[in-house]
Amino acid sequence: MARANNTGKRKGMSYTRYGYIFIAPFVIAYCIFSLYPLLTTFWFSTANMQSATAQFWGFGNYEAYYDRYLDLTKLYSDSFEQDVGIKKNEYVKIRNYFSAQDKADTYDPLNEEGIQAIIANGANSLVSQSAIDELQQALNNKDLGLLSQSSVEELKAWRSQYSDISLIISQKVSSIAGTVADIANAGASDDEEAAAEEETEAVTAESIYTAENYDTFVESLSNSDLTEEQQALVNYLAGQTGYPTLQEYFNAVKNGEVSVEDPMFFYVLTNLNKPNAVTAAGESVPAISVPFIDTVEEYLKANVWGDLVKSLNTFDSLEAYGDGSKGLHEDEESLYADLETLNNAGIINIVKLQVSGSSVIVSNDQKSDANALAIYRTFIDTAYEANDTELAAAVQISKLTTYYEDQGRVLLTALGISVDKYISFDGTFDLDKYFAFKSEVGLTDALSYDRYKELDAARKESNVANAQKKLEEAEAAIPAAQAAYDAIGGNDTNSKEYNALRKLELQVISSKDTIKDPTGILEKVDARYVYIFDGLNNYAEIFTNKTRFNTIVGAFWNTALMWVIGFIPQILLALLLSAWFTDTKLHLKGLSLMKALMYLPNVITAVTVAIFFRRLFSYSSGGTLTPSQIILHAMGMEQGYNFFANAWATRLIVCFINFWMWYGNTMIVLIAGITSISESLYESAQIDGANSFQTYTRITLPLLRPIVLFTLVTSLIGGLQMFDIPQNINVNPALVNFNGTMIKSIRTVLIYINNQAFGMQDVKQVGIAAATSVLLFVVTTILSIIIFYLMRDKDAAKAKRALKKGGTRK
Amino acid sequence: MSANEPKLRSKSASIRAYSILVYVVVIFFSILAILPFWFMFMNATWDTLSIQRGIKLWPNPNSFEQLAKNWNNLAERSTFSFAIGFKNSLIISVGSTALTVYFSALTAYGLSVYNFKGKKTIFAIIVGVMMVPTAVNITGFYRLMSSMGLLGSKWPLILPAIAAPSTVFFIKQYLETSLSMEIIEASRIDGASEFYTFNRICLPIMIPALATQGIFSFLGSWNNFFAPSILLSRSEDKTLPLMVAQLYGDRYTDYGMIYMGLSASVLPVVIVYAFLQRYIISGVAAGGVKE
Repeated sequence: MARANNTGKRKGMSYTRYGYIFIAPFVIAYCIFSLYPLLTTFWFSTANMQSATAQFWGFGNYEAYYDRYLDLTKLYSDSFEQDVGIKKNEYVKIRNYFSAQDKADTYDPLNEEGIQAIIANGANSLVSQSAIDELQQALNNKDLGLLSQSSVEELKAWRSQYSDISLIISQKVSSIAGTVADIANAGASDDEEAAAEEETEAVTAESIYTAENYDTFVESLSNSDLTEEQQALVNYLAGQTGYPTLQEYFNAVKNGEVSVEDPMFFYVLTNLNKPNAVTAAGESVPAISVPFIDTVEEYLKANVWGDLVKSLNTFDSLEAYGDGSKGLHEDEESLYADLETLNNAGIINIVKLQVSGSSVIVSNDQKSDANALAIYRTFIDTAYEANDTELAAAVQISKLTTYYEDQGRVLLTALGISVDKYISFDGTFDLDKYFAFKSEVGLTDALSYDRYKELDAARKESNVANAQKKLEEAEAAIPAAQAAYDAIGGNDTNSKEYNALRKLELQVISSKDTIKDPTGILEKVDARYVYIFDGLNNYAEIFTNKTRFNTIVGAFWNTALMWVIGFIPQILLALLLSAWFTDTKLHLKGLSLMKALMYLPNVITAVTVAIFFRRLFSYSSGGTLTPSQIILHAMGMEQGYNFFANAWATRLIVCFINFWMWYGNTMIVLIAGITSISESLYESAQIDGANSFQTYTRITLPLLRPIVLFTLVTSLIGGLQMFDIPQNINVNPALVNFNGTMIKSIRTVLIYINNQAFGMQDVKQVGIAAATSVLLFVVTTILSIIIFYLMRDKDAAKAKRALKKGGTRK
Repeated sequence: MSANEPKLRSKSASIRAYSILVYVVVIFFSILAILPFWFMFMNATWDTLSIQRGIKLWPNPNSFEQLAKNWNNLAERSTFSFAIGFKNSLIISVGSTALTVYFSALTAYGLSVYNFKGKKTIFAIIVGVMMVPTAVNITGFYRLMSSMGLLGSKWPLILPAIAAPSTVFFIKQYLETSLSMEIIEASRIDGASEFYTFNRICLPIMIPALATQGIFSFLGSWNNFFAPSILLSRSEDKTLPLMVAQLYGDRYTDYGMIYMGLSASVLPVVIVYAFLQRYIISGVAAGGVKE
């Protein structure tokens, strides 16, 4: 070894650098993928950045932020020119620029593939050669200004001849997107509203068919009052259900043979309540009012649809299809599959029925708005290949037109400003182009960041001056008001004298507040889309907003609780099993097989396990029983038990899964620890006549302490990051009442962070999520340090202290 | 434990009774560990109606027919594509495992073979960051990936594997006991470059440690849910755990199919585990896995 060291030293100079080279990839990757994100998380936690759509434009370009988000026209409606020092219509140019850029970002009017599709179609001489050339040029230069007005008209003319079916479809999809968003958001808003209370009263399946009006309604179906068309529709729907009559079908629902969650049930009800059917004359079939339709809808929204809607492939894309920002030809197969799912669930009725006399047929009317999607399906099936580029071209033209007709762009071009060459058409924001635009309109110096700071300071100053004036006035008026109040006795809080006094006092308080912390213009920036340093406001929000504080503390509490409840039996069982497995007197056979079996759950995907247990413990109030219900039924509980409706039952299921997945791991670690204990210790114990129990408590356990603590630390760090199982045991955390579950009972810290930063709500609270992450980091660090402190070698520390004192080691 | 010695008979009998108790408990937990998987596999061979009628712990007499049916129903679902999920998971897991193993070996080697300034500090930092929960930086990580335009791509799930502190730590522990400087010296004298020495001479020595760490890295990546669920949103990018998470989507689809999907996601892991369990368990025993 000494020789190696010497040679190492001699050649050391030349080899040292290899040390750096060898660890460089690790260090670089760690800095990029872990350290930098960690530091930015810390930074986000101090930033007011509520939206995940914010773009990072660099720290030096505040100017662009404020131009973009400062709506000075509203702030300074009367004295704008005087305050900003530029004409109002000059400033409007900037607003219009951003309006055009927004349209370009959403509609992608210069999408290369789309433009190529137009050009390819143009080759069939649908569009003149000059327009094609202009398009090509525009694409090459990324400047739509090169496309002349006449060419745009030509393209539009071609598109209008092409087909308007996609327009009908996109309108229809748009309304569907609205419905779907309603369902999804109903769950999300419930979550927030119900945050304060643990349990909410929900509509149950029973309450639907036990309602009084249910029977009345079913009876009314057999009335002879129905028109011929209505009767035909009723018969048709009965045929769809598979029951001889609708009455029998509704009775089957009541008896529990058919679940109210069956999509057919809602389909039948909506078709009666608001028939999607026309008579031969083209009139709508008169409705048969269903009194409890709202209850059914409410129930389905809370229990079935939300989950269904979230499972859609194109859930996020539906809206984009609707507003045209996503072509109907993109991912259309999955779009159609989803529409079919929605149709099957009864949420939407795609196909219109036609009633003539007593027969009902599926309408083939191409013009029928409601039938557009069915026709679209046929269209895809028959013309998919042939019209691929044609449709892409048509879609691209409508995108191009949307940008072209944007009011902001139109106004700027009318002013002779060639705005197109300053717009970036690839969905990014090009600062250089923006500043070039600003210099063309002559506002470079007029509106710079320094100018904004000046305005901000001036605004603050004038606010302070106003507040000062108000404060003085109020203070001067208080003695008189006090005297007036005293004059009437000084104890009537309903009197107008008291109100006057109180008003003055409040004025003093608010003026003092303004003087202390005046509002400038920079605070008025729409903070939803930018990040601005916000100090510790996110933390203040966490600790002062009562609902949020409760939710976050609740999340930490749930995490800790579920970890502890899972860990205690886990470590106890592992200690017991490891003692048995290493007990030489027992001579257990098949040890390695059992170890392997017990470790198995640990290697299986946690998500699979969670979904499986969810299936196992789910509850059906309808006719069919789930596995847990079957078992409980056999044990004498008639309807089983709705585990997910009870906070503690849900938690305990999660705890059990954690226990079940991890005791094998802990056991193996402990066995390794026990086998590493010197054999001679056991031998001498045996000679001294110690029995198994004594050997275990006197020798094994004390020596095992470091290993147990190691398990504790690793388990703690893992436990605080608990996510997969609670997240998936109930797939949709946005829904409070899915299956009656109070999801709050298993909301862990990571689920909360995930919801805030990446959830479904419109305003994504990235700042809050980051601040919560930092709290998690701090908690973990503190706990780890505490455990490490306990873990340190106490004997060595004692020896050190003893040596210092000059004593000798025993 | 010779029974023909009368003195010891009573003691031996009590030990036997004790060991029967132990067997009962141990076998109970062994069964508990595999029962859910058995349940999944068996139910995958039945149709929905039979599953609703009672708990099925035995295979369907015409298993293959029903298996094929359930499989087809599964394949028809737009949200669950086993082939795509499997492919995505495999690419990510293989990629990240290869990176973890190679670069961790490189780092551990660099830290134990060379003497350079700050080496001890760096190692101490690596041990320290092992304890940092990986999920806390997710908001920053998401932003970084979105600004790099890597959302939906597999790279954010593969590249960070280059820096795996715990793997480095365990490989370094292994190197300290099994790598001697003499081999490196000999190689240097023969004129081999440092990289050649590492790749051709030292890497093979490390194989046992690399295999163990590789298995855990692979399993970790294969089972990962948190990061993929945030970074991947299009169905063609989704990994198997994300696909499985969607299985429960609509509640009136058939249960045979749900169990089929669950089984399909479990089976590959069980098969791999059956072959590698000895290495996995010895790896766990060496403390090579974090909860």
